[in-house]
Amino acid sequence: MSNTIIKIKNLSASIEGKEILKGVNLEVKAGEVHAIMGPNGSGKSTLSSVLAGRDEYEITGGSVEFLGKDLLEYDPEERAWLGLFLAFQYPVEIAGVSNMNFLKTALHEKSKYLNEDPISAKDFLKRVKEKAALVELDDKLKNRSVNEGFSGGEKKRNEIFQMAMLEPILAILDETDSGLDIDALKVVSNGVNTLKNKDNAIIVITHYQRLLDYITPDFVHVLADGKIVKTGDKNLALELEEKGYDWV
Amino acid sequence: MTTTTIHPITENLIPSTINNVATENALNLLSAMTFPTRKSEDWKYTRINKIIKKEYIQKDASGEINTKDFIEESLNAINVFVINGHYSTELSDANKNDGLVLEKITIDNINYNSLASNQTNIFTTLNTAYANNGLSISVQKNTKIKQPIHIIHVNTISNVIANPRTLIVLEQSSELEVIQSYYAPTIEDTFTNSVTEVLVSENAKFTLTKIENEGANSSIIATDDIKQLNDSTLRVNTFTKRQEFARNGINVSVDGQNCATYLNGAYSPIKKEHIDNHTRVDHLQPNCMSSEIYKGVLNDKSVGVFNGKVIVHVDAQKIEAYQKNNNVLISDTATMNAKPELEIFADDVKCSHGTTTGQFDEEAIFYLQARGISKDTAKMMLVEAFMDEVYNEIENDNLRNSIKK
Repeated sequence: MSNTIIKIKNLSASIEGKEILKGVNLEVKAGEVHAIMGPNGSGKSTLSSVLAGRDEYEITGGSVEFLGKDLLEYDPEERAWLGLFLAFQYPVEIAGVSNMNFLKTALHEKSKYLNEDPISAKDFLKRVKEKAALVELDDKLKNRSVNEGFSGGEKKRNEIFQMAMLEPILAILDETDSGLDIDALKVVSNGVNTLKNKDNAIIVITHYQRLLDYITPDFVHVLADGKIVKTGDKNLALELEEKGYDWV
Repeated sequence: MTTTTIHPITENLIPSTINNVATENALNLLSAMTFPTRKSEDWKYTRINKIIKKEYIQKDASGEINTKDFIEESLNAINVFVINGHYSTELSDANKNDGLVLEKITIDNINYNSLASNQTNIFTTLNTAYANNGLSISVQKNTKIKQPIHIIHVNTISNVIANPRTLIVLEQSSELEVIQSYYAPTIEDTFTNSVTEVLVSENAKFTLTKIENEGANSSIIATDDIKQLNDSTLRVNTFTKRQEFARNGINVSVDGQNCATYLNGAYSPIKKEHIDNHTRVDHLQPNCMSSEIYKGVLNDKSVGVFNGKVIVHVDAQKIEAYQKNNNVLISDTATMNAKPELEIFADDVKCSHGTTTGQFDEEAIFYLQARGISKDTAKMMLVEAFMDEVYNEIENDNLRNSIKK
């Protein structure tokens, strides 16, 4: 039996009194790639926000078990330390905080939490070099303020670079393909595929099928009106592309 | 007929003996002046009743202090101690620099009280009337002093009033860096009323960095009256750390061409601290540049005030004046009152001013958290990033590092 990484049971969530998620069920095991597709307003981004711990959302029912722990009880930073990673649809620009200082701080706080030795300066630089190459991130961008003045594609690459640096157990890619040209899409996908292994898992949230040409999912789920209404293999994505969401 | 006002604050005080004529004049002025209320435009946001309605004691420089507690080794500075407002030659380092003179202000010093804003600022008048003694620093022509002077002000007993008086004269083409820091450890209710007069002569370069850190129960009013002559450069940095009350008044009279003036400040009050920065730059001559960056992060029930006045006088053409005041309120109960003022009487000038007061970017905090940076660390990183623009204005690396600590 393979290991369960995340188990979402009957999850409901609302924002400002409006129910967005209406009972989502999903189980992701180690080594798997799941795609969640759905039309605009179906609750895709709400799901990723709730999992990452954004506090504007109110959980109205259900549970989320992450590596056997009650995920919803943890602060966003603790979720990151436990191994959850969200690649943002809109990465935030943070003026005055350098990319490097940001990652170093994140890694140090994580090792503190896990009672591990902090990464040495030498190993840190080594890892930066290796992981930046993976997504072809420009040297100059590494030392700039977080996402400040980055193009759309550079921001998404930076997300995957951060993912590579933090080595999460579960990565949720929220509309990572939006705003990417085909070359950038290939680079980003290649990065994700390299990071994938038998011990971790990936949830790809996307509106379009094209990202799934490069990151092949084991399962495709259709989210509509706050519920998963259909589950299939990668062919489901192709079918959706062809027939549109109304077909579901 | 003149009315005579008796101020409780002066009740127990012995007048200054620095220069009897100056003292006499100041005492006369003082008896005809009243302390400002919030009806006065310049004091609209800053109430001073708590400070002036109290009786204080004067205290000499005796008293036990461990000078090592206050010296910042990394600065490699000439350390000058001013205790309870008294310049202490005993505690201060000997000066080994040629062309630099450090001494008590005496009656022979013609520059004393020539720049002070006695007529317009009652706290300056109060200082002139009761200054305990004075510190004079002068740099001779063509002399660049590489070693900074660190003037360390320490109040040693509760309820003390310190009236430190500093006179700094840079002769032509000279250079000097001065750091003034203020402490009042483990005591309460002290009032420091500091006045610094500075003359920056032709082609001279002067940097003054002030660090106010007297603690949770102490008040400071610090007034700098500065005059710049042709081709001179002036930098004044004001960092207010733990300080219950601070009112900083920097008045720069740019009376020369091709001058550069930089005024910068940072404050991060907590609890009920009240931090007021008033600056005034008078451009009296053409072809000059002035720039101001003040930034604040305000927490709890603290109050901040920024009032930056730039006056470009008639005939002062080709002036560039920039002013910026940005604030972040990190609690719902903190208040910031920001008021930039430009008065322009010349026609060929380039001026800009802007002020912003906002909250933390919650998106940025969440982003940092989602990467595994705790909320407190995330806030700290954002504060640091926000303040860096001001810290980067400090040219002395060692000083910058020690202030950021």
